[in-house]
Amino acid sequence: MALHASTVVVPIDFSSASASAINTGLEIVENPSQLYLIHVMLPLETMSPGVLLGDVTDVSRTAKVTTALKKLAETHKATDAHLAVTIGTPGLEIADYAKREKADLIIIPSHGYHGLKRLFLGSVAERVLRHAPCRVLVLRRPD
Amino acid sequence: MLPLFFKLLFFVTFLCLTGHNAVALAQSPAPRSSNIEIDNGDLNKATESITASIDSQFGIIVENMANVLFWEPVKAVPIPLIVIILLCGSIFFTIYHNWLNIRGFKHAIDITRGRYDNPDDPGEISHFQALTSALSATVGLGNIAGVAVAIQTGGPGAVVWMMLIGLLGMTAKFNECTLAMVYRKVRPDGTVDGGPMHYLEIGLQERGFPFPVAKCFGLVFAIFCIGGSFGGGNMFQANQATSAVRGMIGDIPGLDLFFGGLLAFLVGLVIIGGIKRIGQVTEKIIPLMCGIYVLAGIIILILHANQIPEAAVLIVRSCVSPEAAYGGFIGVLVQGIRRAVFSNEAGVGSAAIAHAAAKTDEPVREGMVAMLGPFIDTVVICTMTALVVIVSGAYNTPEAGKGVEMTRWAFSETLSWFPTVLNISVFLFAYSTMISWSYYGEKAWQYIFGTTKKAIIIYRILFLGFIVLGAVASLENVITFSDLMILSMAFPNIIGGVILAPRVKVLLQDYWRRYKANEFTVYE
Repeated sequence: MALHASTVVVPIDFSSASASAINTGLEIVENPSQLYLIHVMLPLETMSPGVLLGDVTDVSRTAKVTTALKKLAETHKATDAHLAVTIGTPGLEIADYAKREKADLIIIPSHGYHGLKRLFLGSVAERVLRHAPCRVLVLRRPD
Repeated sequence: MLPLFFKLLFFVTFLCLTGHNAVALAQSPAPRSSNIEIDNGDLNKATESITASIDSQFGIIVENMANVLFWEPVKAVPIPLIVIILLCGSIFFTIYHNWLNIRGFKHAIDITRGRYDNPDDPGEISHFQALTSALSATVGLGNIAGVAVAIQTGGPGAVVWMMLIGLLGMTAKFNECTLAMVYRKVRPDGTVDGGPMHYLEIGLQERGFPFPVAKCFGLVFAIFCIGGSFGGGNMFQANQATSAVRGMIGDIPGLDLFFGGLLAFLVGLVIIGGIKRIGQVTEKIIPLMCGIYVLAGIIILILHANQIPEAAVLIVRSCVSPEAAYGGFIGVLVQGIRRAVFSNEAGVGSAAIAHAAAKTDEPVREGMVAMLGPFIDTVVICTMTALVVIVSGAYNTPEAGKGVEMTRWAFSETLSWFPTVLNISVFLFAYSTMISWSYYGEKAWQYIFGTTKKAIIIYRILFLGFIVLGAVASLENVITFSDLMILSMAFPNIIGGVILAPRVKVLLQDYWRRYKANEFTVYE
């Protein structure tokens, strides 16, 4: 059965897996403008050296990620895609974004760890599944 | 995802294995405080009973940990295991990297001056800022109170061993900070995550160790780092800062509790309230306070210039033929090394977390900057404190007191106004060390418990709780706990660092060849 969706959220962590999620998204939507790419940044620690001594701010971080997102969209010929950069816990932020944009599908890659790695790394995909307001397509790791 | 609860359970179980009563330690302050009979109006008695019970809980942990850390493998030469690891590790790194602490010294200064700073390199802060950040965690009470403790317990000869471990520790610091740079993770937003837990986990797997073993190294380091952030990076600081305030305004009932609460509030403003301005100002004042402290020391030494040769002879003589009162040759050696490592943290791995944030694509370059840390901290500042304590005669004057009080007495002998400056310095050093260590501890906490909001806030609240605890518990076991946790970090870090040293050596040889061939772009 073919998968149809008109508002598709794709979380981006700039790994090769998230790049292939964009490709999957492009296969599903009719127009790249129906793609919603989001990157979630972790909150800044006020006591980190970059904040106390350097010039790291939420504004500078957002600008950097937005540029990178634009570049990524361009390489996938999806310059019309909507871009969002938020701060918080990744799984929850992705689900919230999907709610805000009234998405009907979220496409997320899973790192597919097992054993101890699974135990310690946890999964953003799992958290998205628990909180998503719509269907979620989890892409398995190729191996 | 593994629920936070199970991870917390794992953490507590580990602590229980190292000290039977870790759960009681974590829980004891709250339930006991509800039993305080404040109605009687005797706040001091209530505080004393709480601190006594807390101290006894720490005693259990300290005893169990000390059994391992201070186990003496060779009975004929009673040197504790951890001191052997620290000493042998530092000697190994120095020889293995071909005396980089000496041959790379000038280049390290050039890098720190910004000669090779490329603003487009990945990272958060410049080389100079990374060094300042690491120093704000290490320069502090270890240099003021720790030196006095070393001389008090190990005699003047301990200074020689402090200096020696300071010099050798430079290469240990180089090794760990280079590794932190190699295995750091630069996020898409430009922020950086690095430190021993990461290089131990990834690096050891690269060297052929299975994932569970590599992860175990990372986890053990992270657990001790969290302990260190509650101990030496927190309680010890709060404890000595309170002691400094008490020395300034006298022993007022309830002062410890009030001051501990105030300190926790001020730290909380930065780490929970997110008011970065306070932290920024403190970080900028610290180099100034260091400057004032060193300047005052130099003035005293100039005024006592004629006594310096005598002091030097005393230090060298008591180092090679120490008095039995200080535990003989080995006793002096052990004290010197313990206090030096507590002060400069070389081999401990903590500073690697700060240095990992440096803006450079050359890991070796930041490692060389990090080398200057133990030099400034121990060889310059600790030695200066030691000379002042010795030339003033404070070390053999009983009324001079102990720890920070002895140093205060030594300085005030010549500069009567200095105690006020010293008290302010102690407060600021303690404050900045706590802020820096809260970052180290949180990074280690995130490594185990993840980066969720809930996990992070639990750590920050615990951290603030330990500040109050440190301020009220002016007791021996708390200080020893601080020591043990920081020293314990050296176990996984040095063993892992030795296993990973060949990777650093390859990078160093390549870097040094390009440096000698003038291949680097100079930006200054």
